[in-house]
Amino acid sequence: MTDRNDHDRTPGDDILDGRFSRGGLLKGAAALGIGMSPLLAAACGGGSSSSTAASSSAGAPRRGGQLKLGFVGGGTAETLDPFIGVTPIDEGRIQNLYDPMVIVNPDLTTSPGLALEWNPNSDATVYEVKLRDGVTFHNGKSFGADDVIYSIQQMSKPANFGSYPFVSGIDVANMKAINKHLVRIPLKAPDGDLAANFTYYNTWMVPAGMTDFKHPIGTGPFAFESFTPGQQSVFKKNPNYWQTGKPYVDSLMITSITDPTARLNALLAGTIDGMAQLPFQEAKSHQASGDINVLVAPSPQAMMFYMDTQKAPFSDNRVRQAFRLIADRPALVEGAISGFGTVGNDTVGKGLPYYDTSLPQRVQDIDKAKSLLKAAGQSNLKVEFQTSDIFPGFVESATLFAQQAKAAGVTVNLKQEPANSYYNPSLLYLKMAFAETQWPMLSLKYFYLQALSTGAPYNETHFKSAAFNTALANAIGELDKTKAQDYWNQVQQIQYDQGGYLQWTNADWVDAVSKKVQGLKPHAAGALGNYLFMDAWLSA
Amino acid sequence: MSPVLAFLGRRLLGAFVALFVASIVIFAALNILPGDPASVILGRNATPQAEAVLTKRMQLDRPATTRYADWLGGFVHGDLGVSAVSLAQGQHDTVWEQISGPLKNSAILAAIAAFFMIPLSIGLGVIGPIYAGKPVDHAISVLSLGAIALPEFVTGSLLIGVFFVALDWLPPVAIVPPGGNPLDNPSQLVLPVLTLLFASLAAGVRMVRAGMTEVLQTEYVQTARLNGVAERRVLSRYALRNALAPSVQVLAQNLQWLIGGIIITESVFAYPGIGTTLVNAVQNRDVTVVQSVAMLIAVVYVVLNLLADLVVMLLVPKLREPV
Repeated sequence: MTDRNDHDRTPGDDILDGRFSRGGLLKGAAALGIGMSPLLAAACGGGSSSSTAASSSAGAPRRGGQLKLGFVGGGTAETLDPFIGVTPIDEGRIQNLYDPMVIVNPDLTTSPGLALEWNPNSDATVYEVKLRDGVTFHNGKSFGADDVIYSIQQMSKPANFGSYPFVSGIDVANMKAINKHLVRIPLKAPDGDLAANFTYYNTWMVPAGMTDFKHPIGTGPFAFESFTPGQQSVFKKNPNYWQTGKPYVDSLMITSITDPTARLNALLAGTIDGMAQLPFQEAKSHQASGDINVLVAPSPQAMMFYMDTQKAPFSDNRVRQAFRLIADRPALVEGAISGFGTVGNDTVGKGLPYYDTSLPQRVQDIDKAKSLLKAAGQSNLKVEFQTSDIFPGFVESATLFAQQAKAAGVTVNLKQEPANSYYNPSLLYLKMAFAETQWPMLSLKYFYLQALSTGAPYNETHFKSAAFNTALANAIGELDKTKAQDYWNQVQQIQYDQGGYLQWTNADWVDAVSKKVQGLKPHAAGALGNYLFMDAWLSA
Repeated sequence: MSPVLAFLGRRLLGAFVALFVASIVIFAALNILPGDPASVILGRNATPQAEAVLTKRMQLDRPATTRYADWLGGFVHGDLGVSAVSLAQGQHDTVWEQISGPLKNSAILAAIAAFFMIPLSIGLGVIGPIYAGKPVDHAISVLSLGAIALPEFVTGSLLIGVFFVALDWLPPVAIVPPGGNPLDNPSQLVLPVLTLLFASLAAGVRMVRAGMTEVLQTEYVQTARLNGVAERRVLSRYALRNALAPSVQVLAQNLQWLIGGIIITESVFAYPGIGTTLVNAVQNRDVTVVQSVAMLIAVVYVVLNLLADLVVMLLVPKLREPV
């Protein structure tokens, strides 16, 4: 964790303190960084699933059968406990056993899930949440206010690191069931969009009193049947699912297959019907051969270089700006991730609410970079760039950037660090002056609270600015959408002008399914159509 | 005391010392390296709260020597402890319940590979010298030399390329449902077993061949032949037995090599065995699982060595005589 000195604190800090943990998301993202291609992203726009979409529209969904999927395994750390899940395979299972309060749509807009309405008081410190009627758990019990209260109580336990940060702004002790389908949720500080905290799978709903996550009960489209961590799970169709008619398949089998080649071989051999994380070189060749359907989903997943704003030479904003101008972003996207992504603009969350679309796209400008470096007294600068193969594309992008930097007279020496240490705060993480990172992106609030407020647990750039914290606190607490957009624009302008992040791409999700899998569509929020296996069906 | 027993006693003592040293090295490597175990296990999720909780659950507040004694004491009694990752998740899964299934799967795979490896090593090793200089001999030599040079992941990929991609005869993965028997679907096991055989056969074949070639030129073999002993009897009774003694050690080493090879082979074929479990445990930084599996592997190594020594004793009468 970052150290935090009290005298550094600004008024916004109390709300900003570690409300969110990216722990789960980060690791989850390990899954996806794998594949992306520029032509493709352009060509597909909505993903390369044209063939899938076409065939699925050809007829009514066919019912029955078992959908078999392969994911990168998490070993015995795999879990069905939504509050501590970390990897995509956990996410895939949890999202099918349980339901969210708020559903994220493929275009990152939201729809009501188990919660129908979120009604704040005038200063956004108390919410009344109206719940969906007629939802039952797999054991027949009906879903209600006590389940929401119990779930949030569980989420707020510090040991539940996946969920804790999402609810740490809630005054848990004073939550109240007004009636069976209405909950009162008081907050410790204003939050203009509490619903946004309840989309991610670490915050999905469990029944009141459930402690046995080895035999879990949820309201989701599939019900637990068997699970051996590190090997395989089998879930059966929930016949009483509230989204009537779904799911289409009778059961869902998820197998851990960590080796990417083995996973692809299993798909090609028909041992499984779909796989998450298709390596991007493979994605290109199988798009060409057409023997399987490659699912490509443009997403705001951020891949970035970061500079420690407190350490020389990056403590000088001119150096940071120069580095941002050195990067040839289209070349990085093409060369490092086979083009499976779009260029980044140093402010995360492209496509998400409150993203500032008015900021001009930053492009390579070597002359300007040189003059900035000269003004900073850093001509002929030599820096060390710490990279790691923890995410596909990291070492490749670092290597390309080092070549690009030569043109501006900057010598970038690459140092490859072990994957296990790279994100470990007791070893290297948060101690590197110039390094790389990757963030899945659910909302601007989620990222900024964790990465950029003074008390943020993952303050990679060690960014400190009172003005920034005030703007961020205002942006989060504001109920009025127009005013909130103004505050969010202030937040992003500061990062665009002074920040330590160099975001070179918004990377796609790249997965694959066999020709007989229909109904799964690319989804910006997650791999394999955001795990919406209730939509999938198997053609004859 | 009979020389056999004295020899065995010395070897047993040596084995215990080796295992004791191994246990210290394994424990130290996993517990004394930078970063305390709780923060290493939690990795990016290492908030101070989570670390405090896990430190308590893992009883890391006790001195390292106490923890070591506890672990080794438990191990000797067959108690491998509780998975650290499971503790971090608020569960209490024992290491044994996590590894027993994969251990069985790996044992089955290794047993099948060993079942073919030993007779094939001896058979192919004997054929060479008998047909010395003929095409059969050359073919065996070249193939075994090639196989030695290729690591398992290359052999595995080549076999998949031929038997799945090109011919579509055999499945490229060996997925066994939890609790299932790998033998229920034997076609899945063909490529993993072949991969293991390719990598481990070659050394044995070459050793047997060298021993056999040497023995066939000795005077006692010549004498036997000149005395009109049937060639078959010369080979089996006089030549092979003496040629095997040095090969037994190599075969034992090959079995040990098999354990290493299994880790890679399992990953190539997505086979749910102990290798996959170990790799996952390392990635999850599950200290207790890694140290117990590492210790188990050390035990298997030492036992194989002991058995090899015993077999050599039985093959070479000279070793059984008092010095």
